[in-house]
Amino acid sequence: MTIRNVRDHGQRYRPRMACLKKVENVVLEMQDPKSGVKSQTQRLVITSIPHKYILVLCNLMWDAVLLIWARAMGTMMVAFGYIYPLQDHKRLILKPDTSLYRFQTPYFWPAQQWPVEDTDYAIYLAKRNIRKKGMLELYEQEQYNNLYKWVNHKWDFIVMQAKEQYRAGKERKKPDRVVFDCQERAYWVVHRPPPGTVSAMDYGHDRMVDPNMEEKKTSDYYRRTYTTTYKEHDPFLHACLPSNPWLTDDVTYWTLNMPNVETPTKMRVECWTFSFGELLMDPRGRADFRLFLKKEFSGENLAFWEACEDLKWGAAETMKEKAQQIYKTFLARGAPRWINIDGKTMDITVKGLAHPHRYVLDAAQTHIYMLMKKDSYGRYLKSPVFKETQRKAIAPEPHRFTETQLEQNAKRRRPSLSPITLRQQEEEQKAKLAASGPVDITQVMSKLEKKQKA
Amino acid sequence: MGKDECKTMLDALNKVTACYRHLVIALGSTSDSQNLREELKKTRKKAQELAVANRTKLTALLKDKSISKDDRAEYERLWVLFTSSMELLDVDMKRSLEIGQDFPLKVPTRHLIQTGMTGSTTTVAARAMSVQNMKYEADANIDTVDLKELETEIAQVDQMMEEMEMKVQVAPWAVEAKQEAGAELKSTVSVGNSSVGVISICEEEPKETVEGETGLMKVFAGIIFTVVLLIAGILGYLVINL
Repeated sequence: MTIRNVRDHGQRYRPRMACLKKVENVVLEMQDPKSGVKSQTQRLVITSIPHKYILVLCNLMWDAVLLIWARAMGTMMVAFGYIYPLQDHKRLILKPDTSLYRFQTPYFWPAQQWPVEDTDYAIYLAKRNIRKKGMLELYEQEQYNNLYKWVNHKWDFIVMQAKEQYRAGKERKKPDRVVFDCQERAYWVVHRPPPGTVSAMDYGHDRMVDPNMEEKKTSDYYRRTYTTTYKEHDPFLHACLPSNPWLTDDVTYWTLNMPNVETPTKMRVECWTFSFGELLMDPRGRADFRLFLKKEFSGENLAFWEACEDLKWGAAETMKEKAQQIYKTFLARGAPRWINIDGKTMDITVKGLAHPHRYVLDAAQTHIYMLMKKDSYGRYLKSPVFKETQRKAIAPEPHRFTETQLEQNAKRRRPSLSPITLRQQEEEQKAKLAASGPVDITQVMSKLEKKQKA
Repeated sequence: MGKDECKTMLDALNKVTACYRHLVIALGSTSDSQNLREELKKTRKKAQELAVANRTKLTALLKDKSISKDDRAEYERLWVLFTSSMELLDVDMKRSLEIGQDFPLKVPTRHLIQTGMTGSTTTVAARAMSVQNMKYEADANIDTVDLKELETEIAQVDQMMEEMEMKVQVAPWAVEAKQEAGAELKSTVSVGNSSVGVISICEEEPKETVEGETGLMKVFAGIIFTVVLLIAGILGYLVINL
């Protein structure tokens, strides 16, 4: 059995070959005895063959502009193989003189769904070998030898079939035999062009995938999109800006990318646009997002999410109090920072809170995360806050250190900030946030109510 | 012997496949006609009968576990021959369906492609059916009626091929060909000689090559003759002088 899968796919997804159907229609029109192309009988030495055409171009059009068009059309038909020249059969062009052409039989028309098989070519070459008694042309001989190697397992069949086809061909009358040989030869000139000629059937590489179809989202697809998105951000593939501290001992890169730096780098900001997860995982990104939500008075979602994260990763002894705190602040009816989750999730969460554990708020957290991702994230990316951050982001120049400078850098190596200091800084930040003005709409509304009452 | 039977049956299938291909090539052209459609139908049916017969025989032989290694290699080779024949038949049948649908015979506005072939294909079909003369007995609308049958037959052939692929575990690429390159030239020597008389096919190929070869022989003979004469003359001269 031949392995048929690969070639077949490639042939179907060739939009350029859609023109073949149209050419076929034109060729059919040309057959009309009244309005089609005129034909004449050719006289060979012993016999005569009807239906040879002198494609006199002035029969087809009546204007100088159309002459060029008609010639182009004609050349295309010859190049595709719908018409073949009788003299100079290797050059598939339409000559504007009195040279003769003939129509090709429908079996030998180029067709998108019928790939041209090597087996058929081998049979043709074997038949030609018989007819020419071993004197094939150079390129044909080379092809023959190649095919003998590559299709060797079918070679017996090819030889048998060639002999039988040759004998069956001899059963026909002389003029038909001549015509048949011409037809077959023309077919193979189109589909296996002699070296040095240009083929109209050349469509580039075979495609395995239909380019018009939506790509199926397999794991391969996701891996590919991941690598293409993150290609620039990979320090192994692209140079770190300004310079890789491990290589040059210069810590600018780390200071620029500190968790709570004032102005982030451009690469970092670009990373936030890739996905919502990236934005949240980066502390600077989360701070930016928090600022945006503050402006919109919908900070409770993010606060709830952060509280849930705290519960998940926090110490076991404080879990019960934290859970209670969260319930009072976010989930209870009339809570100061009430979050909007659907009834079913609320039910599950409240029931779970009776016996709180680390993951009791997981359902609610996921719901809020998806809400933020689908709604606020999009608006954030278009907001003035983000645009301002993008504008102010720095793109550091790459360092170019000399040998001596590198040595000096190495000497000046110092340990980084202690994690204790970093933690203290974080705590201070949190306290500042808590003490700042109203962040949620509920807080604003309650403040307004209080003002009215007062 | 099972092998010889198989070989003769495969030869028959091969012959019918080759003839079917010739007939399909004539479809849609000016040599198309009611007769051609009928010939196609008959050849097709014969091919299918042969295919089924071949398949049962070969599967029976291959399933037999008690055969020797050489025998098994031989049967695998025959199997590859059979499957390649079937593939060719399958493609030809599908193409004949397509071309048959595109070129219905009775519609007056649809014209056949004027390819230059005008003769009939009776002799080819007769060769396929192994009869002396073909008898034509079909109705006038065979071209439309036959197409439906053709569709069912194609489905049958496809199914048969799938079954064959599933049931018989033969690796086609492991088969080594018995014929070497250029084998087709050997046994067709007799055929080749008769084709010398055929006119050169298209104007490009000069006729002189055929005559040139015989001319060359004559020149060569002439040269040998003159050389012999010269030697005889020189020897005579020497004899006379000495």
